[in-house]
Amino acid sequence: MLDLKDLENRSIYIVREAYAEFKRPAVLWSMGKDSTTMLWLCRKAFFGQIPFPVIHIDTSYKFKQMYQYRDHLAREWGFELVIAKNETAIEEGCSPEEGKFECCTRLKTEALKNCLEERGFDALILAIRRDEHGIRAKERYFSPRDEQFKWDYKDQPLEMWDHFQGLLGKGTHMRIHPILHWRELDVWEYVKQEGMPVNPMYFARNGQRYRSLGCEPCTLPIASNAATIDEIVEELRTTRVAERAGRAQDKEKTFTMQKLRALGYM
Amino acid sequence: MNLNAVIVGHVDHGKSTLIGRLLYDSEVLPEDRLAEIQKLLEEYKKRFEFAYFLDSFEEELQEERTIDTTRVLFKGKGENYYTIVDVPGHKEFIKNMLTGACYAQVAILVVSAPDGVQEQTRRHAFLAHMLGIDDVIVVVNKMDLVDYQQSTFDKVKTETAELLSSLGYNNPIFISVSAMEGDNVYRPSGKMPWYQGATLIEVLDSLKPKEAEEKPLRFVVQDVYTVGAEKITVGRVESGRLKKGDELVFQPSNLKGKVEKIKLFPEEIAEAVSGDSIGILVDCEPRRGDVAGLLSSQPKTVTSFLGEVALLEGTLGKGDEIEMKCGTKRAWCQVDEIREQINSETGAVIGKDIDRIGENEAAVIVFKTEPMVIENFSEMPELGRFILSRKKKNIGAGVVLGAE
Repeated sequence: MLDLKDLENRSIYIVREAYAEFKRPAVLWSMGKDSTTMLWLCRKAFFGQIPFPVIHIDTSYKFKQMYQYRDHLAREWGFELVIAKNETAIEEGCSPEEGKFECCTRLKTEALKNCLEERGFDALILAIRRDEHGIRAKERYFSPRDEQFKWDYKDQPLEMWDHFQGLLGKGTHMRIHPILHWRELDVWEYVKQEGMPVNPMYFARNGQRYRSLGCEPCTLPIASNAATIDEIVEELRTTRVAERAGRAQDKEKTFTMQKLRALGYM
Repeated sequence: MNLNAVIVGHVDHGKSTLIGRLLYDSEVLPEDRLAEIQKLLEEYKKRFEFAYFLDSFEEELQEERTIDTTRVLFKGKGENYYTIVDVPGHKEFIKNMLTGACYAQVAILVVSAPDGVQEQTRRHAFLAHMLGIDDVIVVVNKMDLVDYQQSTFDKVKTETAELLSSLGYNNPIFISVSAMEGDNVYRPSGKMPWYQGATLIEVLDSLKPKEAEEKPLRFVVQDVYTVGAEKITVGRVESGRLKKGDELVFQPSNLKGKVEKIKLFPEEIAEAVSGDSIGILVDCEPRRGDVAGLLSSQPKTVTSFLGEVALLEGTLGKGDEIEMKCGTKRAWCQVDEIREQINSETGAVIGKDIDRIGENEAAVIVFKTEPMVIENFSEMPELGRFILSRKKKNIGAGVVLGAE
C-alpha cells in the first residue's frame, strides 16, 4: 500500500503552493469521491475553512442524490459554492443524444469557461488522477491552459522537484492537480481512515453500485455487492475492470478523452 | 517500500515496450484495455505494440514514439510497490524526460542489443547522474533480434559499463532481455541458457530501502495564514525533526522564534518529521521563501554559489539575469562566471571560462544571487536543487555544488 500520510502531505503542499502563487484560485467539485477528497484536503491545508470558492459545473443531468449531497455538504463545511451552468445550451435542449462529445463540451467545458471569465479565476484545482485514464496519466501537477482554454499537451512545461510552472500570460489559467499521484484504492483507503462523508451512490444496492459518478444519462453502475467502504477496498484489490468503465463519454470514439481535454475539459 | 524507477535510454530501444510488457505479464491491466487497443490498431492499421499501454496520445500511436512522460503504479511479486516512469527518448523531449526522472531513486537504462550505446543512452545516463539517481539497472533489450547470442550481450555490456563507470556508476546490474518476447522481464527466459542472472522484476523486488540518515532540521516556509486569532506559518519539513518548544532561526529573514504549537488540522501534534506538511505557531513573522533550522545548526544564507545546470531553452551568458527557485524561494540571480561548458551527451568538459552556453547544454556556473538559503546537493538534496525560469517559464534545472 502507498503511505496515505505521504500522499496527503504532498497534496497539501501542492494546494498551498497554488494558493501562494495565484491571485484567484478556485476548486472544482463534482461531488464524486475524488473531488470530495480534494475538498477535505483543502480544509486540512487551510485549517478548516476553504479560502476560495468551490465550483460545481451543473449540467442539469446530475443524479438527484448528488444535488442533495452537494447542498448538505456545502452547509456543513461552510464554503462558498459557485454553480457554473451553461443556461443557453440547457435551454436549447443540449443533450447526450446529439453526441456526447458536443454535450460534454457545451455543458461542462463551456460552462466552466464562462464561469472563469465572469469571476476571473486564474487557477483551478482539480481532482484528476493518473491512474484513471491514459490521457490523465500524461498530466503535470500545474498544467497551463491558454486563452482559448486549450491544453498544449505536445509542449508541457518542465516540472521538477515540486517547482511548478507559473502563469504564462493574461487570459490564461492554470489547472492544478494535487491528487494526480493517488490511485482509486488510495482514495477509498483515505476516505475510510478519515471517516469522510461520501455520496451513498458508491455503495451497492440490489447487486449494483456506481464506481465513477457523472451525468445520469452517461453513467452506468457496475455489478457489485460492495455495500461498505471495506467491501469497496476489497473489491478494488482484486478487480480488473477499469474505473471509468461505466462512463460513456470516454468511449464514444477513439481518443475522445484526449480531444475533450485538449479543448479544456477536465 | 514504494520505489520510483525511471526507464531511460535512446529512442526506439524499447523503453515503453518494456513497461508495457511488465504490466501485461503481471496481469494488472484492466481487462478491457487490450480490447480497446486492438480496436485502435484496426482503426489506425497498426501492428500490436506493448508500448500502446503507455503511449496514450493519438500522435504517439501515429508516430510510434513517446512524446511525454507517463507514470504507472505497479506492485512487484513481493512487498515492493513501484512508480514506474516512462520518458521519451528523443532529444527534443529532454524536458519531459527530466520531468519524469527527477523523483526517481533507480534508473533502468534500456540499451538495444543490435544498436548498442547511442546519443540519448549517453545523455540520459549523464542526466540521471546529475539528478543524483544512485542506482542504475541496465536492460540489454531486443536480444531476440540478435538470436539471443551471448557475444552481443557481452559487447553491449562492456560498452555500457564503460559509459557508466565514467559517470561514477561502478557495479550496475545487467539483464539480458527481449521485452517484445517477454524474456527475463516478468518471466525467466528459456532461450538464453548462458544467462544466469535475474529477471527485471526479481532485480526490482530485491531492492531494499536505503536507511535514511538523520539530518539537521530544515523547514521551508510556504505562507502565513491568519485563522481566527492565530497566525499560522505553513510549510514542509524537508529534513530532520521539528518539535514543539524548538527555538528556530528563519533565514534569510534572520528571525528567531519559539515553536508554540504544531498544527495538523484538526489536531495539534508534538513533533513533525521530514515530508510533513504542517502549520506552526511561532513568536515571529517569517515569510514565504524562508528556511528554518535549529540554533545549533542554522541554515546559511548565501549571495553566491556554484551550480551545475542543464539548460533546455535559449542561451545563458555571463552577466545574464535569470530567476531561480529553490525550496519556496524565488530569487533573481546573475551569471557571474561560466567555469565549465559540458556536453550533455558525453558529460565531457568542452570549454572553460566561456561567455555563453546554448540549448541542451550543461555547465558549471557561479551565480550571484539575492540572499537565500541553499545547501549542497550531495548533503541535502531537498534544498540543493533549483529550477531556472524566464518570464515565468521553466527553462532549466540545476544542482548546488557548493557555496562560493
